[in-house]
Amino acid sequence: MSIVILDGMERENNTSSMFERVLKENLEKTFYFKLRDMNIAPCSCCESCSYTTPGKCVVNDDAHEILKTIAKSDTVILLSPIRFGGYSSCLKKIVDKFMLLILPSYRLKKGYLLHPARYGKKILIGIGVAEDVLKEQEENFEKLVEHNAHNLQYPYKTHILRSSEEIEKAEDEVNSILKVVHEG
Amino acid sequence: MTIKKILILNGSSRKKGTSFSFSRTIKTLCEDTGNSAEIIHVIDYFKGKEELHQLKELMLQSDIIAMVAPLYSDTLSYYDIWFLERLVSEYSHELRGKDFFAIGQCGFPDITRNEPLLNTCRFFAEEVGMRWLGGLSYGGGAMINGAFLEDLGKKGEKIILGFKFALEDVLQGHQISSKSQELITVEIPKILQWPLVAFLNYHTRKKARENGNIDYKRRAYLE
Ligand SMILES: Cc1cc2nc3c(=O)[nH]c(=O)nc-3n(C[C@H](O)[C@H](O)[C@H](O)COP(=O)(O)O)c2cc1C
Repeated sequence: MSIVILDGMERENNTSSMFERVLKENLEKTFYFKLRDMNIAPCSCCESCSYTTPGKCVVNDDAHEILKTIAKSDTVILLSPIRFGGYSSCLKKIVDKFMLLILPSYRLKKGYLLHPARYGKKILIGIGVAEDVLKEQEENFEKLVEHNAHNLQYPYKTHILRSSEEIEKAEDEVNSILKVVHEG
Repeated sequence: MTIKKILILNGSSRKKGTSFSFSRTIKTLCEDTGNSAEIIHVIDYFKGKEELHQLKELMLQSDIIAMVAPLYSDTLSYYDIWFLERLVSEYSHELRGKDFFAIGQCGFPDITRNEPLLNTCRFFAEEVGMRWLGGLSYGGGAMINGAFLEDLGKKGEKIILGFKFALEDVLQGHQISSKSQELITVEIPKILQWPLVAFLNYHTRKKARENGNIDYKRRAYLE
């Protein structure tokens, strides 16, 4: 059982610290990536990863380490402040590279055109930290996670953490996430 | 009617892609009505080819701002979110009260894929106090691959007409009517779905062959 967490929070915060602590306490194989401290080049849409170096980005940056870890893991957690009802740019930099987790070929599933997954099935968990955002934005965040999961063909779950909530409540959320991970 | 100016943000990292083709048509249609339009490329600001502080003037001169963007992993690209974050932190004052609309276009034919992108544009507009005039979603932008709409026959004509109606609405300060979305929506009949997949996969294999018979299914990060 191994879990990758992509932390797209822009600065030190209690939620991230709690996540890191609880996950590391409960799962031996927790790989915690604080994206704000990493060097990740944005996808420039050069298409090399389709047919020149299949499945591999040609840019030399920290994204390789993250993608290698994801390829070997069972669960991917996305953690982000809810920004305009979606991900922060800090998280989106790596999410744009999720194209590397799918193939350039096509399949049809329940009437939807999709690209098959390159590394099989994983669980996707999207956690949005809501600071003074409207319900509609929370819903859009959940829809975005759902769409990502649909395209990757992964089962998914979403959690919204309101920063005003006490940290214990957030810990409950982490424990329920761990339950999902353990149950596969 | 007073002359209006539209500032069009091309949200693609490809300056000559489908987002540009759409932006170009919007600009032409706008100028045809005696109004004015200017296209800027988000990527130029990201790369530092253009200075962010010069945006201030551009925004003050514009009445309407439009985001025309490709779908990257189900929403706006990293570049576009970065750009909107900068606008919120530095230019909220200049943007307040202006009108905003968006066009999202994606690779897959299904227009519902663009919903999170268009909602994000709306939330951005609301956050800086702009008036949201609506969004249009185009599915199948990858097939167009930057071609000019006037070169696409019937399909292009319908998109141009859809954009024309949308512009009439926004230039009058109205919400974009559903007529525009209907005109630009391409439905793929169920019976053609499997042949389409077969056709696309034929091309995938052909491209792999052209690239020295490369194994496009490689699990590169497990090697
Ligand atoms: C990094 C990346 C991610 C993409 N993600 C999606 C996606 O999630 N869904 C989709 O339908 N198309 C996706 N596309 C396809 C583009 O939206 C499509 O090719 C679009 O027409 C490109 O616009 P442009 O020519 O203006 O760059 C993606 C393309 C890139 C480069």
